[in-house]
Parts: sequence; C-alpha cells; structure tokens
Amino acid sequence: MKVPFKYLLVLGSIVLFSLAFTFLKPTPLYLKIPKGWPKPHYDFSKNPLTEEGFQLGRQLFYDPILSRDNTISCASCHLQATGFTHVDHELSHGIDGKIGNRNSMTLMNLAWSKSFMWDGGVNHLDVQPLNPITSPIEMDETLANVVSKLQKSEKYQALFLAAFGDTNITGQRVLKALSQFELHLISSNSKYDKVMRKEAVFTNQEQNGYQLFKTNCASCHNEPLFTSEKFERNGLPIDTTLNDIGRQKITGNAKDYMLFKVPTLRNIQFTFPYMHDGRHKKLTEVIKHYNSLGNDKNLSKQLQKPMLLSDNERVDLVAFLHTLTDNEFLFDNRFSFPRE
Amino acid sequence: MMCSEIFIGLLSCLFFQSAFAQEKKDSLVLRLNLKFKDETLVQNKKYISESKDTLEIDVLRFYISNIKLQNSDATTFSESNSYHLIDIENPNSFRIPIAKNSGEAISKVSFSIGIDSLASVSGAMSGDLDPTRGMYWTWQSGFINMKIEGKSSSCKTRKNAFQFHIGGYMKPNYAIRTIELKPINSNLEINVDIAELFKYIKLAENNSIMIPGKKAMELADKTIGMFNVNNTEN
Repeated sequence: MKVPFKYLLVLGSIVLFSLAFTFLKPTPLYLKIPKGWPKPHYDFSKNPLTEEGFQLGRQLFYDPILSRDNTISCASCHLQATGFTHVDHELSHGIDGKIGNRNSMTLMNLAWSKSFMWDGGVNHLDVQPLNPITSPIEMDETLANVVSKLQKSEKYQALFLAAFGDTNITGQRVLKALSQFELHLISSNSKYDKVMRKEAVFTNQEQNGYQLFKTNCASCHNEPLFTSEKFERNGLPIDTTLNDIGRQKITGNAKDYMLFKVPTLRNIQFTFPYMHDGRHKKLTEVIKHYNSLGNDKNLSKQLQKPMLLSDNERVDLVAFLHTLTDNEFLFDNRFSFPRE
Repeated sequence: MMCSEIFIGLLSCLFFQSAFAQEKKDSLVLRLNLKFKDETLVQNKKYISESKDTLEIDVLRFYISNIKLQNSDATTFSESNSYHLIDIENPNSFRIPIAKNSGEAISKVSFSIGIDSLASVSGAMSGDLDPTRGMYWTWQSGFINMKIEGKSSSCKTRKNAFQFHIGGYMKPNYAIRTIELKPINSNLEINVDIAELFKYIKLAENNSIMIPGKKAMELADKTIGMFNVNNTEN
C-alpha cells in the first residue's frame, strides 16, 4: 500500500519542528548559592538563567554600542580586576571625558541586592542599566536607540536568537540579558570564605582584625555579604563642590539627608578610592575617619559609640579586610572581555 | 522546506482567522477620544485654556491600567495584564479591545491612570511597559503615568516649553489614580479632555513637574476630571 504523500508531509513537518526546538532551546544555568548565605532577593522565575543569556549579557556588558558615540561600555567604569569598579578616580568618567558626580559602585553578589546606586534610587537589577545608559555624563544614549542599533547587527541577531529563541530584540530583553551576566558575578572564594568553610586559617593578626571587625563594623557590614543593604549617615561632611544629599534626593524626606547605601566590603583591597565621592584613597584613611567619630546625634546609631582603635588595632583590621580579596573572582575567565 | 512552510502557513491561518473574527464581532472595546473642550485634540494646534493660557501640545502619553467592568447582573470582568499606553501619535492606541461581548448591559467601568506599585518594582517589562517606550524614569525607578509636553507663550522658559511628567510609586507620593464611570447604554466611549486639567494650571507659574512629589500628587488628582463618558449620540 502506498502511504499518501500528505501524511508524510505532516509527519516530516512535525519532525522538523521538534528538531528546530532542540537546537534553539537555550541551556539552563543554575546559580550556586554559597553555603550559609541567605536566599537571593532576585526573582529568577522572571528571568531564567541560561548559558546563552549569560553570554549575550556579557557581550552587551563589554560593548560600547550602549553609548551615544560607541565609546563607553559598562566595563569602562566596572573593571573586573578591581571588583568591577573604576579605580584611581574619585569620580567616575563618562562620555566626552565628562566627570561624574559619584564614585562607581562595585558589581558583585547582586542577586542579593534589594536596591541599587548610592542613593538606592533604582529598585531592581534589571532597570539599573537605564541609569548609566541615559545619563548625559555617562553614556548619553536612549534604550530605544540601543535596541535599534542592536537590531541592525547580525552578531546580536544571532545572540538574541540563541538566548531567546527568536531574533526579536526589545528593551526588556536587553535589560534581562545584562542582568543574566551580572547575576553570575558572585564573589565567595576569598580567604575569609575559606576560613569560614574551615579550608584555611587566619593569621593571628587577621584573627584579631576579624574580632575588631565584628565589634565595630559588622552591624552595618553584615556577614556574609558585608552589607546590611541599608542607608546610613557615616559622618562625612558634605562636599560643597558636589552638594550630594544622597538618599534625600530620592525620597524628598529631610531625615534622609546625606544617607548613602552601605557598600559591600568584599574585594575592598582593590576597589579604591572609597566612599560615595571617592574622597579616601586608602583603607587606613577610611578607618581613621570612623575612628574619629562618636557622640554625635547626627550619625547613624551604630556609629555613635567611639571606636577608639589603637594604631596596632587599625593595622590588624586592614589585615582582616585584605582577607576579603577573592582572586578566583577577580580573574575568572568567564567574566572577562569576551574574545572571539 | 517549501512543504513545511506551507504547513506552518496553514496552521497560522487557522489561528489568526479565529482571532480576527472574534475581535471584529464579539469584543468590547474601550474607545478614548482625546479632546480639548469640544474639539478633537490635535498636536501643535493652539488652544486657549480657562486660565487664559494659549497652549499647544507636542507630547501626550498616558497609561490606562487595571480595566474592570461591572455588568447590570452584578457579574464583573477584570482584564488580565491590563496595561495600555495611550499616545496621541498612535491613534491605534485610542482603541482598547478588552473582553468578549457577553451581551450583558454594562453598568460600571473602572480603570487606573498610571501603573501600580507592583509593576513598578518588577524589573524590565515588555510591550507597553518596555522602558524603550519613554515612560520610565532612569535616575529613580518607576513609570511616568502621564507625560504632557508642549509650548505656551505664558511660559518664560526655554522655547516657551512646559512639561508635566506625573508619576511616583512610593508612598506618600503614589501617583496612580482610579476612575469609575457609568456608561450610558453600555457605550464604552470615553472622552479625555485635557482642558479639564489645564483649567487648574497657570502656565506662567507652574510649567515643569519632572519628579514624584507633592506637586505631582496634586496634578494627578486633577487628571481624574479629564475622563468622562461620552454622552453625545453617535
């Protein structure tokens, strides 16, 4: 009996369809949550991680196509070897050599962040890139124009196809892909982490520094992420050339005057300069600042009791802070500039 | 290859045919008429407000969300994923198909002007909520619920420009507003009269709102008056 051509056609189409889907389906990735860490804040169900999504995000992160004149990429101010921040500049640089108002923040362990930027004005990792992309002193571009530039690129059509199953390039997809890359930037293999996992031991000096840290710093720089995610007033006098009022700019509430987000201390050895306006070049200066505080009602309550650290204790504290350096993270090839 | 294309074509024809047929015959459509008093609102045409300002509109974009209908038999319908961007430059956006027509008389229609706080904290969204639509703030997260920009000789600003970006999702400056209207004869045609907003604004004194806050909240209150059921016979 002859099989009618029509049936073969239908069968063939179904086989073709299923084959196409096997090839197009992105490879799922799962973040390894370090042992003892809290549950991430990011809702992965709305942006399931895939290898292709991560690679697309990585390309976007390192591509100056995000800026008006194709000169500035995310990596211009967020360099991997220095904890994904801009070192050696008090204030970060943007387009046309313009100088920003703040010291760029580090990028790590972002899945646990509840708010973004020094003033917490951004409420979700996905929408954070809108800030630098549209800032006239950073990338001075619009997301709509970024999308239109990407749509013209064959390279990105292929990358979006691989990550999302079709070549439709939208603002949402650009932002979600950037999140995919950034969510993988987990730093959890410092000496501190290894000591906590009983794979290494602190020196006596580091151990002493750790005790001092727990007494004097850990109430805001909570372990294991080394930030409370809160906003605090840390006693820095306002820089009158910048007049940055911090959190008050977002809430409009006078009680938020000069409140800034508590940053993580991970990889702090390499993320200089320090503070929202980069006014301190060295960790010893930062500790001296905190050591000089106390008995001031304008400060956050954690800082009202004077620290009174001796010279030796300050050295020990720095030694502990250096144990937060995670070379595996700073030199992880998966996070570096994507070479073809 | 040709064969599978024909097959896909056939399949999609079937899908689209049914989809189109439904939209044409059986759907309830919310229609919005952008107006200045009794006239249809046109971009870059001069109008005179009750506050005696001569003004023209360059940009008018706003969100309608969370559309709900109540029938005369007390049954209700809530549109799912109900977020619609209305843009004076895109007449297709004035027409919102919302539900199948059950034939039941509609006693109430309610909707919000703007975007709720949940959607405002949910990251990158798609469609009308995609940040490429120019209705998302950047230095501070959150949607612009309504954007009105234009010119008036009353404004002693650069290029005589005025701009009102009304939004804010955090209390006490949560700028979303909800409206409830009673359609006449189930007619879901709604007039959006911006003269009702500009009668409260003296453009010489108030011509720029770009951040969430008290001024945006006051203006958001006034936007409620812009929306009225169309009671003219068609």
